Amino acid sequence: MDHAQSPYGSGTEFVRPPVGAAAIEAQGLGKEYRRGWALRDVSFRLPAGRVCGLVGPNGAGKSTLMGLATNMIRPTTGALRVFGAAPGSTEAVLRTAFLTQEKPLFRRFTVAETLRLGREFNPHWDQEVAEGIVRAGQVPLKAKVGTLSGGQRTRVAFALAFGKRPDLLILDEPMADLDPLVRRELMATLTAEAAEHGTTVLVSSHMLAELEHICDYLLVVANGGLRLAGEVDELRAAHALLDVAGSGPVPAVGPHTVIESGRGDGRPGVLVRLGGPVAYGGPAEPPTLEELLLAYLRSPDAPALITPSARVGDIHDIITRDRTKAVTA
Amino acid sequence: MTTLTHDPARTAPAGPARNARGPRLGGPVWLVWRQHRAAFWTLIAAMVIGVLVMVHLRGQVMDFLAAQEPTARRLGGLPSEFETHGDRLHTIGSYLDYIPVLAGVLLGAPLFAGDLETGTAKLVTSQSVSRMRWLVTKLAVPAVILTLSTGVLTAALTWWWNPLKGFSEALSWTTFFSVTGVVPVAFTLLTFTVGAAVGLVLRRTLVSMVVTLGIVAAMGFLWSQLWRNLGHVLSLSTHEGVGPGAVQPDLPTQAEQQGQGTYFLTSSGDRLDWTTCLDEIENDRAHTACLESKNVVGWSLDYLPLSQMQTMQWLGAGIMLALAAAGTAFVIVWGRKRLL
Repeated sequence: MDHAQSPYGSGTEFVRPPVGAAAIEAQGLGKEYRRGWALRDVSFRLPAGRVCGLVGPNGAGKSTLMGLATNMIRPTTGALRVFGAAPGSTEAVLRTAFLTQEKPLFRRFTVAETLRLGREFNPHWDQEVAEGIVRAGQVPLKAKVGTLSGGQRTRVAFALAFGKRPDLLILDEPMADLDPLVRRELMATLTAEAAEHGTTVLVSSHMLAELEHICDYLLVVANGGLRLAGEVDELRAAHALLDVAGSGPVPAVGPHTVIESGRGDGRPGVLVRLGGPVAYGGPAEPPTLEELLLAYLRSPDAPALITPSARVGDIHDIITRDRTKAVTA
Repeated sequence: MTTLTHDPARTAPAGPARNARGPRLGGPVWLVWRQHRAAFWTLIAAMVIGVLVMVHLRGQVMDFLAAQEPTARRLGGLPSEFETHGDRLHTIGSYLDYIPVLAGVLLGAPLFAGDLETGTAKLVTSQSVSRMRWLVTKLAVPAVILTLSTGVLTAALTWWWNPLKGFSEALSWTTFFSVTGVVPVAFTLLTFTVGAAVGLVLRRTLVSMVVTLGIVAAMGFLWSQLWRNLGHVLSLSTHEGVGPGAVQPDLPTQAEQQGQGTYFLTSSGDRLDWTTCLDEIENDRAHTACLESKNVVGWSLDYLPLSQMQTMQWLGAGIMLALAAAGTAFVIVWGRKRLL
């Protein structure tokens, strides 16, 4: 990969964000609890149709961000829009499905009754999709939810979320209690469904390696602020892992910004954000997503990087959008 | 509904067979029914059993009354066997006192607290039905069932009590004031709403049930102390003196005397309480002289007549329903803003 081609070199050149529907758009978003700010001044844009990983240490504000997008939490400052509509508005509610971390279900309902709940409450309900997901795990429809194993319950919760046929699917730590095989299978279902229906997915997870398989977009939050946002490929291309032999001194990195050096595990080297063509003499290669994420999680104070497609639209963007709305209205 | 009338516009394929026993419901109503169906069926069963028992016992007492002389059918005029019949009515009437408590503690308090505690409130509100509609349905379905079951039970009790009204002290209208007419329904709706509001704020089932029990008990006590103020107290006076030959005023049939006993009426219209000149009661002449010195011309007493019962019940029920409406408004405002 030619790093000199990277459009984020100097950071001063202006690249217009591509105009297109945004699934989520946040502007100056902040949420303050009694114990302090959970999320502060977060602005980003998640283009529609992406599968976006939301990564951050525990307590970084991931669940708060998801709660804000689903009207479970009201922002203290700023605003967030889902497909241009306020969270909680009929349009946003119809188009969003949310699977919370706890995956609450009515324990005394049978699986069939749980799916009926989805059918009764959602006008676009797809019983086949929902039943298919449940059947794939050999979960009996007549079983009470309370008697199911954790993995089976997660599957039922998944079926409820998918059956809604959402345009935006928000999953908070969906895989935590699943065995590796089921996890793989549900991830495959997720990507297949998302690709088939053009669903935008926002999924938070600590399973960094698995995110790499399903995500093409990324949001990284730490200490209540946004650290990284954008396409996985572009984010990776904007960084390089400079190979350092053994425990030698940190090489001169020239125009690059060091994100992390002297790492304890994985490949030895210095992870830098590129500030110009790679002039370093040693081997340099783009980091894997996992390496990139780990580096940012370890260095929460690193400067934020928001790629153009993830930047909140400027005035042209808004004008274009309003014009489209006026035409369709 | 037959298969011919099945809505072809329904996009979702027919799900598993519906519960044949339950009523055919849809949307949030189905959810509320399904979630609390054990409580609802218990309530309906209790209502049916209660009504059957009351119909049976009323039949027995009516047979008993038919065997008595028509002239004997008044307070104290019936043979002592009547006591058994009266006691049954009194006992079952006092059971009805518990309906509002049970409605608040067992149905109202867990209504939202349960969903908030287990997180299912999040599950429901992340579906496509608006939070407002869910909140309203969750209040409305139990309210309708409570109104129905309490209403039917109360009507049966009222119907049983009516022919026996005032046949003994235990069957007076003041004893049955809070368990007949519209009062039980209104009080049940009020306690249910209070329980729901408490559960919504406290978000823990057990704590909400305990707090609701306390509040409902306090409300019941306040009501028992205050409901007589809903009536318009009437007075009855005599002006024929209070000497040994004078007749005390006669309390109208089934009226309940109010105040502290029978008062002494003075010529100026003032009333002196019954302890006046009590020290002289041993000596008739001194007593008469004492009363005369205070210009006592007769007796006076206050009472609440039976005829005011319904007006007072409606007035009290109106106040309760207004409070219940305020509670409902609170639940909706709070629920929309701070549910999760």
